[in-house]
Amino acid sequence: METRSDAPAGSDAWRAQPDAKAIGITRRIRRGTAPDPAVLVAEHVSKSFAGVTAVRDVDFDLRRGEVHALMGENGAGKSTLMKILAGVHTSYEGVIRVEGRLESFGGVRDAEAAGVAIIHQELNLVPELSVADNIFLGREPLIAGAFIDGRRMVRAAERLLRRLGASIDPRCRIAELRIGEQQLVEIAKALSLDTRILIMDEPTSALSSSECETLFKIVRQLAADGVAIVYTSHRIEEVLDLADRVTVLRDGRRVLTAPIGDLSRGAIISAMVGRDMAAHHRGTAAQDGAVVLSVRNLTLDTLTSRGWRRALHGVTFQLRQGEILGIGGLLGSGRSEILESIFGVARGWRGGEIAVEGRVVDIQSSADAYRLGVALVTEDRKERGLHLGESICDNVALPSVGAMSRFGLRAFARESALADGVVRRLSVRCAGIDQRVATLSGGNQQKIVIGKWLATEPRILLLDEPTRGIDVGAKQEIYQLIFELAEQGLGIVVVSSEMPELLLLSDRVLVMCEGHQTGLISRETATQEAVMRLAAPGMASASWDVLS
Amino acid sequence: MKVLRALSRTKLYWGLLLICLIGALASPHSSSGNNIFLSYGNLTDVLRQVSITGLVATGMTMVILLGGIDLSVGSVMGFSTIICAMLLTKSGWTAASIMGVPAAVAVSFMVVAFLARFVFSGLASGHDETAGLRREIALGRWRGIWIPSLLGLAAAVAVAWFTTNQVPTKFGVLGVLLVAPCVALVLGAINGVLIVAGRLQPFIATLAMMVGALGIGRLTAGQDNAVVAVYTGTNATETFEVLRSMLWGVVPMPSVFFLAAIILFGAILRFTAFGRYAYAIGGNIEAAKLSGIKVVQVQLTAYLLSGLLAGIAGVLFVAQYRQGKPDAGAGLELDAIAAVVIGGTSLMGGRGSLAGTLVGVLIFGLLSDILQLQNIDSNVQLVMKGLIIVCTVLVQEQNLGQLVARWRFVRRTKTSAEAGTAEPPRPPSAVRAQFAREHLDEAS
Repeated sequence: METRSDAPAGSDAWRAQPDAKAIGITRRIRRGTAPDPAVLVAEHVSKSFAGVTAVRDVDFDLRRGEVHALMGENGAGKSTLMKILAGVHTSYEGVIRVEGRLESFGGVRDAEAAGVAIIHQELNLVPELSVADNIFLGREPLIAGAFIDGRRMVRAAERLLRRLGASIDPRCRIAELRIGEQQLVEIAKALSLDTRILIMDEPTSALSSSECETLFKIVRQLAADGVAIVYTSHRIEEVLDLADRVTVLRDGRRVLTAPIGDLSRGAIISAMVGRDMAAHHRGTAAQDGAVVLSVRNLTLDTLTSRGWRRALHGVTFQLRQGEILGIGGLLGSGRSEILESIFGVARGWRGGEIAVEGRVVDIQSSADAYRLGVALVTEDRKERGLHLGESICDNVALPSVGAMSRFGLRAFARESALADGVVRRLSVRCAGIDQRVATLSGGNQQKIVIGKWLATEPRILLLDEPTRGIDVGAKQEIYQLIFELAEQGLGIVVVSSEMPELLLLSDRVLVMCEGHQTGLISRETATQEAVMRLAAPGMASASWDVLS
Repeated sequence: MKVLRALSRTKLYWGLLLICLIGALASPHSSSGNNIFLSYGNLTDVLRQVSITGLVATGMTMVILLGGIDLSVGSVMGFSTIICAMLLTKSGWTAASIMGVPAAVAVSFMVVAFLARFVFSGLASGHDETAGLRREIALGRWRGIWIPSLLGLAAAVAVAWFTTNQVPTKFGVLGVLLVAPCVALVLGAINGVLIVAGRLQPFIATLAMMVGALGIGRLTAGQDNAVVAVYTGTNATETFEVLRSMLWGVVPMPSVFFLAAIILFGAILRFTAFGRYAYAIGGNIEAAKLSGIKVVQVQLTAYLLSGLLAGIAGVLFVAQYRQGKPDAGAGLELDAIAAVVIGGTSLMGGRGSLAGTLVGVLIFGLLSDILQLQNIDSNVQLVMKGLIIVCTVLVQEQNLGQLVARWRFVRRTKTSAEAGTAEPPRPPSAVRAQFAREHLDEAS
């Protein structure tokens, strides 16, 4: 306790809040005794997988109380380096010291004991357990040494979540939460550990803007409290805003480490990609194309553990040939549900009318959608978009296998020709079409998901977060691809949480808020402020981040 | 490394070879000095003995590939033996023929109608590779509905005529080969409908069928000891003997069915869209659903085929053991699952092959043959079986490279510890435990 008495006033003010301790920070360090000593040093770290070098001779140091951003394109080695630091990968070359002590972690538990915790980008929760159960998994409070004290656990979890500004019921099952909410639980779980070095692998990739802002506040508080934070994100604005120092990796090597003040957005990007990169805007879109998709008064009722809930309250829009319609809104506002309803895979009862090319249709399954030329690229590409263990060829050809086979016999030559075509058209970087998709980088995986649907020659393409968790270079390629497809006359609907992306891509923006369609605005009037206002009517003062 | 990987990929076949080698070396010799294990008669006997399990395991492989399981195959086979034995030995409208004839008629209608429609859509899809993939194939009312229905109807009438004609006398070999599998197929279809439409877990739905089919079998047999004996030539037709003879004096008849099933379904899994879908659904059902695959149809078909194969196995059982009894297949489902798993098919689905299942079945068969030749207690055989399952799956799940790598890693960490890179003690985990207590207390 005496260590706390001489803490700086600024963080004391925060600590004085009643639930400050609930997020689990104990102060151990007297700030100012030594100027930013390195709490973690990695020297000459290398790691290779089956002959492919992921990290090559990287030096890395982390100082007390700093937010150190780790940047690089997908495949640059960020995740590998983080996993080495957090004890996930136990065999590597090089030396890691934590607070001067030589460490070789035998696993994540060892790392946690040494005060190093990691929040993975891929969620690491048990879907059938409650939020509170997940947060305290393996560390449950016990009564009489044997029985789990559920009430205490729920209350503690409630505090942790409130601290994150999340309105999640700790008794809720994880499976009932959307990805963004699950991510918040994951963060709460990591915060509940007594952590001095916190490693965050793209914590914001699935968060809405207000959730991000809350997270940044917490990250800053943690840093002010002496916790050292390693942070990756593909959103450069976020890093410029949050980080103290930046390390950029490219092809497994360290390219740059510098204080954030010395760097500009452009400098970081060119260090990451090794070349200059500029966002290409699209010319004005033709507004006189034929209507390919018309949705009238679409409703969706879903069954949750607390009864029926209306997820969509009457959505109405028309999509023309060659048009890109953006759907904006906060996470959980019903954006994905619109796409899933159109594609026939939404869970629950659907109402309203959907017409494809003027014909009213009843799409009951993805097979119906396929026949009508509607394609959906889902948000969660690993769980719902790809067969990770199978080859590029098998993945690309999957929706078309039936159409390409005759008398049920597969046409293997056509399948590989199809995959070849997709790989070439989308310039997927791979060793060949027999490579397993699990070994591709995120951006290339995303291209495969898009490609497998492009191969079916759709007329309407529904994209749910098409650039989630992929790097800057691949993002630009995906944007370019979306523009090209629109030029070719596809009707495209894009859901995106990233405002600049939404505004860059969309010809019109449909804004959702809590299941209601709050606006459908044209490109000319669609500014970040306008979209924000529509997306969060009840939160006029809420801080939507402005990412540009 | 390359050699190791090649070894690792084919390790199952090496295992089979090893068992054969052991068998040959340990085998007793006949009076004339011949190796009994390697004799043609012994090897064909092994093939004959594994055929029933093998047929069931073939269906099981498809179900497991889809990420499901079929526990009912043993009972369904038992039920099929009862149907078969009663049709062979009892004339007139018995419980077996009352159930069997309508089932055969209905199944033949469905199958022929489906096949006709399948052929028409195959013809219509043409071979124009430049045409769009999504081009709709409109078969029209005639080719889509009426002609298949009429053909189905014709088949149904033919089957009805054929079977009802046999009812007053007793059924012949073709009759039982048609009817008993059809009844089993209906049971498999019920499994499939429960799983697909009722959204029951496959384990539960087929468990219910496993219990239920046993009861139906006993009720159908309607005897106290519920064993229907079949004596070809006296109370049943002599032609039924065909099913236990050797085909052209070369291969035992049951094995012909087994090997044909392996080849047919192996080809289906490898070369057809259906097979591709099976792997895709087992690998990631969510992604498969979102890829426009009719998951429901594929699942239903797999359970239905599993029932069908169990039904055929039932007929072969009657031929082999000259009796039908409701519990003929007790424990068979587990033998089949074991063979499938030994063959490298993942119980999670999406990975595996019928070639593996063939090897798995043969490993079991050869093992019990070797032990029998050594006159080893059959209870010891059970223990050996258990050991074999554990060992093969251990080797299957981790490829050899990984096993070797682990050894290397252990050695390395040991030597580094011996070298004495002195590590200062880490903060005890008690610190963390205490922290958790503190913070929970404050929260409450």
